Amino acid sequence: MSRRELDLDQALADLAASLEFPPTPDLAAAVTARLDEAPARRPAAPARRRGRLAGLVGRPGWRRLAVAGLAAVLLAVAVLVASPGTREAVARRLGLRGVGVQLGGPPPPTVTTRPGERLDLGLGERVTLEEARRRVGFPVLVPGAAGFQEPAAVYVNEAVPAGGRVDLVYRARPGLSASPFTDVGLLVTEFRGQPTPEFLKKVAVLGMVEEVRVGGEPGYWFSGEPHFFTYRDAAGSLQDEQTRLAGNTLVWQRGELTLRIEGEISKQEALRIAESMR
Amino acid sequence: MEGRPLDEEELVEQARGGDARAYEVLVRRYQDLAFRTAYVIVGGSADAEDAAQEGFVKAWYALPRFRAGSPFRPWLLAIVANEARNRRRSGRRQDDLALRVAEDRPSGDAAPSPEAAAVDREQRRLLLDAVGRLGESDRQVIACRYFLELSEAEMAAALGCRRGTVKSRLSRALHRLRAVLAEQGTPAAAPDARLQGGER
Repeated sequence: MSRRELDLDQALADLAASLEFPPTPDLAAAVTARLDEAPARRPAAPARRRGRLAGLVGRPGWRRLAVAGLAAVLLAVAVLVASPGTREAVARRLGLRGVGVQLGGPPPPTVTTRPGERLDLGLGERVTLEEARRRVGFPVLVPGAAGFQEPAAVYVNEAVPAGGRVDLVYRARPGLSASPFTDVGLLVTEFRGQPTPEFLKKVAVLGMVEEVRVGGEPGYWFSGEPHFFTYRDAAGSLQDEQTRLAGNTLVWQRGELTLRIEGEISKQEALRIAESMR
Repeated sequence: MEGRPLDEEELVEQARGGDARAYEVLVRRYQDLAFRTAYVIVGGSADAEDAAQEGFVKAWYALPRFRAGSPFRPWLLAIVANEARNRRRSGRRQDDLALRVAEDRPSGDAAPSPEAAAVDREQRRLLLDAVGRLGESDRQVIACRYFLELSEAEMAAALGCRRGTVKSRLSRALHRLRAVLAEQGTPAAAPDARLQGGER
């Protein structure tokens, strides 16, 4: 370190010593109370979901969406339970690098798509496209299709999954309606998928998943009823709590990259945007 | 680097086994750190409390996936910081880093004259003000390093970036802080600053 660097270093350390943070609330008591409330010390998923939703529907304004979410959960579960045999057969041949597609099986325990938090898409840090390109270890692609060449916002998360991840967000506008699940017009996610562990997990219902080809490479189109979808969190865990519902989604492979487009768009539109990525 | 107390691993192990009392001890131990880290990210105490509490609850449920023997602090900080970032994105912008410079010197320092103390305080206030003028990313990396005194691994966890990029991010942030100070005309940017520690 140079002399000047040392000076600033010392000045900041000196500042830190006399800095006042707001008083820390008694988190230990609050957290312990919440854990005690839970039916088991580390409850199985269904018990937790009940607790969550009970809290949600108790709040004014959240009731409608929570109930809608719950209805979707129940519908999905009902359909899943109906066809266990087929599900096993299909589950084996689904999946892209970094993406697990589970047809049926236990539904994720929580639905966190709720008003006011719908923009919580688990994105990383907001940066410019150039900065995102500098930070991740893969070429960041942008749609060449008219109207999609300039994302409204770009987010980067360097930590998870390994190799990083970039999200392009497009605002809703005439001809591109806001998704009820994300509140944005279009969300494009890119990461370098590893065969394991998967970074995205999707739980969908047979009949709502269609195999497609994008530029000759494999992909899946999810449509119809919303499907569940879980990202790994910053700590690298597949967090059940971060599960949310997603609408129409195209996920596909492009070399080492795995890409995902989510929005209220038709399959043709999604494929057109996907094919134009460069 | 972590300097963990001897019994931390044991507490984590007990908590992993479902012992909520052991976990309470861990929460009490790290609640300051978790709350302040969340505060640095969201910039408001209500949201910071919310994020830290939610982070601790999620960490409890995620404990079975915690790798035994690895350091607990960065793991916990990653979860709390992620909660905080989610709140920052979904919420309105808060009064950014509304930290205060204490009126009194921390105990243990030599008592300066009242005039010198006033100048000191003013200098620290200006420096804090300059930090507050930086962009979000610069402010956070400086706060993590200096105000929270996080290790590199912990900084990477709290900032959601690779460990290898922490140093360069910090040095870029300090560079820009120096530029803000120079613009302010604050002597802290100059070699003969009153703020430098060596002369005290």
